[in-house]
Amino acid sequence: MPFEPDHVLLGKFVDAHERGDLADAAEYWERLAVNNFDRVKNTVKGFRFSAGGPGIPPDEHGSAASEAFLRVIAMSAAFRKRETGRFYAALATCVENACRDFGRKELRHQKRSAGSLDRTYEPDGEAGPFDAALAAYDADLRRQTEEALEAEAARQEAEGLVAWGIARIKNDTYREVLELTYLHKLSGEAIADRLAISLDNVYQRRRRGILELDRILREHRS
Amino acid sequence: MSTDREQVLSEFVDAWTAGRRPDVDDYLARVHEADREELAAELTAFLRFAPTPEYSDEALETIRADPIVAEALSAAGGRAGLLPALFMRLRARLGLSNAEVAGELVQSLSLPADRAPKTASYLDRLERGELEPSRISGRVFDALARVLRVPRSELEGAGDVGGWAAPAAAFRATDEAADEAAPHLDLLARGLSTPGAAARDEVDDLFLGGR
Repeated sequence: MPFEPDHVLLGKFVDAHERGDLADAAEYWERLAVNNFDRVKNTVKGFRFSAGGPGIPPDEHGSAASEAFLRVIAMSAAFRKRETGRFYAALATCVENACRDFGRKELRHQKRSAGSLDRTYEPDGEAGPFDAALAAYDADLRRQTEEALEAEAARQEAEGLVAWGIARIKNDTYREVLELTYLHKLSGEAIADRLAISLDNVYQRRRRGILELDRILREHRS
Repeated sequence: MSTDREQVLSEFVDAWTAGRRPDVDDYLARVHEADREELAAELTAFLRFAPTPEYSDEALETIRADPIVAEALSAAGGRAGLLPALFMRLRARLGLSNAEVAGELVQSLSLPADRAPKTASYLDRLERGELEPSRISGRVFDALARVLRVPRSELEGAGDVGGWAAPAAAFRATDEAADEAAPHLDLLARGLSTPGAAARDEVDDLFLGGR
């Protein structure tokens, strides 16, 4: 099966659901999951329970990635959005929840223990870390529609949550490097050439921009 | 001046975007131990919203052949969908046996303690893929979510993925079909009207009554 980008597969997945073709929907979601397996596996390896704290022990990376990947496939039952940014937000929430759950391993048989690793799950009551940014993003899209700026709304919808987040980075130089990294998918060298800056500058701006984008998408409050 | 950490992060970004399938561990190993935790946070911050690279056919085949992917896709295609595989994995992670899960479930559902063995037998059936997830009640999913400490939606979702979607039956009856089927239907009717040895109880309703 040749590669198809995530936004194409998401669109086909939602279309298949809308026409009641669950077999096709399952196939498209399976391909989305395969496309994103490296994201899942690497997120598990890089996950830390707290800033600067420990992660999942290396000998448990495989088990944690297996559980996370199963949970990503299970997401298909409820996920019906067409946009990749929303999909990545949901996927990150799901994988990071799975990682946190591994931190509770030692707490087995201890019910309702306190502590940051032991957030109690209420059925369907879990708020994701990206919910605030998504809500603000939705509100912006709605406002634009209400103001009859339909062309602008359509453009934003196409570019998605990530472009929306990048546009909110205040530092022009970080924002520029992130646009070229995420939206134009240029390498560090190509960005250095395009902006006539040193590679060292690209490295710095990329790192700071990535952290700023993450902060905007995680902590946004309207 | 950029730091080594900034350069390593940027090289990971380039390798990812080019579809070279970089591994976080390899990149963490390239920086001083004191920098690893921060680099890990930066790499995961990038990965959350990184555009998926345009993988080659070969790369996609390699990903599909990964044991984690192969196992999950095979489970999703199974008769009872993804729920048995996910349930087993969650239970194993918590170090709980089916009997222990059943004990907690019975408590959580306010059932008499003597219903635990029967509940455990339903959990065994669930693991073997012999229980249709759509027949399991919402109360059981709620209780399981608490015991296994995962959102109910993920368990229900796992039950809804694949499996049990029986294809529509296609019959082409011959002239003799009615005569041939009649004895079987009579037998079935007698069976259904004969009282069972054990009456259906609350546990049966919870696992077979549907949501």
